[in-house]
Amino acid sequence: MTGATLASIAGGESRKGRLLSNPKLDQWICFWSIPVFYILFGVIFVLLGRIMPPPTPTMSTENIIAFMTSPNLSLAVVLLALSLGMYALNSGLMLTQMKRMVGVSPVLRYAYIAVLGVGGLPGCLFPGYMFALGAFRPEYDPEILAMLYDLGFLCFVGSLGCFIIQYVVFTIAVFLDKRGIFPKWLGYFSIWTLVTELVATPVFITQTGPYAWDGLLSFYQGTLIWVAWQTSVTICLYQAIKNQPLEELGLPLKENEL
Amino acid sequence: MQTKDQRICLWIAPFFGLLFVFAFWNFQGFFPPMSPTMSAEEVAAFYRDHLGHIRSSMILCNVIGVSLIPFFTVIVVQMMRMNNASRVFSYSYLIAVINGGTLFALADLAWLNAAYRPDRDPQLTMLLNDLAWFAFITPVGFVLVQNFCLAMAVYLDKGPAPIFPRWVAHFNIVTALLMAPSAFALMYKTGPLAWDGAISFWLHIATYALYIAVMFFVLRSAVQKQADEETMLQSSWKEQTA
Repeated sequence: MTGATLASIAGGESRKGRLLSNPKLDQWICFWSIPVFYILFGVIFVLLGRIMPPPTPTMSTENIIAFMTSPNLSLAVVLLALSLGMYALNSGLMLTQMKRMVGVSPVLRYAYIAVLGVGGLPGCLFPGYMFALGAFRPEYDPEILAMLYDLGFLCFVGSLGCFIIQYVVFTIAVFLDKRGIFPKWLGYFSIWTLVTELVATPVFITQTGPYAWDGLLSFYQGTLIWVAWQTSVTICLYQAIKNQPLEELGLPLKENEL
Repeated sequence: MQTKDQRICLWIAPFFGLLFVFAFWNFQGFFPPMSPTMSAEEVAAFYRDHLGHIRSSMILCNVIGVSLIPFFTVIVVQMMRMNNASRVFSYSYLIAVINGGTLFALADLAWLNAAYRPDRDPQLTMLLNDLAWFAFITPVGFVLVQNFCLAMAVYLDKGPAPIFPRWVAHFNIVTALLMAPSAFALMYKTGPLAWDGAISFWLHIATYALYIAVMFFVLRSAVQKQADEETMLQSSWKEQTA
C-alpha cells in the first residue's frame, strides 16, 4: 500500500472512485452479501413460501395439499436455489477474519466452514426441494405429499447437529483468540444459541406442544435467538473488517501457506 | 516444481469429460431429455424399458460424479496466487464447489434408486425421478457464486502480470447468467424453462461444456506461466549462488 493510494482513499475522490479503490473491497462485497442473503431468506421463507412460521405437524391431507399448492411456494424455492450459494461468500469471509486470530490454528476455521458447507444442504436446500416437489405435482398420492411435508419441515427445523458444531467451533475460536478479533461476549452468546438447538431435539418425536416443529421452544425460541445471534455476528464482522490494519492486506500466498 | 500436481488435476478434466459425454449419451433420458409431463406410468415404463442403460450410465456417473473437483481446485490454487487484498474469493469459491458436487451425487443416487426396483409403485419411481432432475438441473446458485467469485478475483487482480486475462472474468459472468434461469425448472413443466426445455436443459448443458473446455485452456496457460516463472527463479538463484 503506497502513501499516495492511502491519501487518495482518505481524500476527496468521487464516491464511486473511493468505493472501487477501497483496499478491502473484496471483503466488503462478501460482507454486504450477508444482509442481502438474509433479506432474501426472509422473503423466501416468510413472505413467499409461508414456510416460516411453520404450519402444524398435525395438518389434514387437504390442508397439506393446500399448503403445497399455495401460489408462491415454487417461486420461493426457485429463489432459494438461485441465492443459497451466497452463504459461501459469508463462510469465506468468516474464514478470512478467523485467519487473523492469534493462538488459533487453521483447524478451527477449516472446521467452521466445512461444517457450514455440510449444514446448508440438509437444512435448507433439501427441504426446499421437498416442498417444490409437492408444489410441482399436487397429483402425487396423498401419502407421498404428507411424507414430503414431514420431510421438508423435519429437515428445515431439525437439522441441528451441523449448526451445533458450528457454534462449538466458533466459541472455542473466540475464546482462544488472544487478539480479540471478535468480542468475548459473542462466544457466550454462541453457547446460548447452541443450547437452543439442543432444546429442539425432541422435534423428531412429538407432533404437538412446545417441542413440535411449530412449537414455542423448538421453533420460536430457537429462531428468535438465532436471528439475534446472526445479527450480532454480522455487526462484529463489520467491526473486524473495519479495524483490520491495511498492512495485513496481502500479497498472494505461497503454495505452502494455503 | 509445484505445478506437476496441478497439471495432473487439469488433465483429469478432458478424460472424465469424455466419460461424462458417454454416460449421458448412454442414459437414454438426456438426448432428448425426459419430459416432466410424463405420467407416473410412463416414467415407470421408461425405467423398465431402459433398465440396463440407466443403471450402467448412472453407476458410471456415480464413480466419476465429482471427478471435476480436482479441476476446480486448480482454479482455487490459481486464484490464491492472484494479487488480491485477501483470499476471501478463493475460499468462497471452494465452498461453492463442494456444494455443487454434493447435489450431483444426490441426483445420481436418486436415479439409481428409481431404477433399483422397476416394479415399484410408479408414483414412487416418479418421485425419485423428479428429485433427480431437480437436483441435476436447478441448483445453479452455487455455479453463480463460483463464477462470481472467480470474476471478482480477476477484476481485482492488480498485479503487473495478472494470472488470468481480463476476458476470463467477463466470460465467467456471462456463462453464469446463461445457466441461472435453470432454477425455474422447479416451477414449469413445459416451455423453455422446464427441465427438458431449450434454456434449462440445452443451453445449460451446452454452456457448462463450453465453460469447462474454455477454462481448461485458460488454466493450462496459467499453470504453464507459473512453471516458467518458477524455472526462471530457480535459474537466477543458481546464477547468484554460483
